[in-house]
Amino acid sequence: MRSHLLLMALFAFFVSLVFAVISRDAPGDQLRFGGMLFGGFIVTAVVISWLMYPFPF
Amino acid sequence: MRATAAERTQTGGLVLLCLASWAVPGVGHLWLGRRSKGIVFLVALPVMFAVGLALRGRLFPFELSDPLVCLAALADVSIGITYFVATSLGYGAGDVRALTYEYGNAFLIVAGLLNLLVMIDAYDVAVGRK
Repeated sequence: MRSHLLLMALFAFFVSLVFAVISRDAPGDQLRFGGMLFGGFIVTAVVISWLMYPFPF
Repeated sequence: MRATAAERTQTGGLVLLCLASWAVPGVGHLWLGRRSKGIVFLVALPVMFAVGLALRGRLFPFELSDPLVCLAALADVSIGITYFVATSLGYGAGDVRALTYEYGNAFLIVAGLLNLLVMIDAYDVAVGRK
């Protein structure tokens, strides 16, 4: 797998999963918190990527 | 103040719990009866570590002359027995020319650090903080 986006999403998935399971007890809360973390990772990465886009290096 | 026998036993149990939790991700939670959490950690963290190896990440050596490499090695070894199994099988040499090398390193290092968090969480559960 060479897609940077997919690798980043996979990384975000694992980290979100572990954080959600550590910090919440109820499965519903874990799912909600994990989804929020995962979305936050992806959105933040895309926003930062676009902010870096004009840089020449 | 001198600890009672029960407290000493409890402290010994906590040390054993932390060691087991470090050695095999999720075992601490399984030990404490948190089965679903333990199974998630038991599967997710070794898989994350294996993905890091598949992405040709490097298991860093303990080089005291280079503090950052030493810290990365410490994070790598935090995954527990999986680290020693991988090194004994010859994995983790790393390929700096691979496109996914840095991703592999990130997966390997973060898997270890997450296992430390899991171990601390198991400790917190054991002492009744959670």
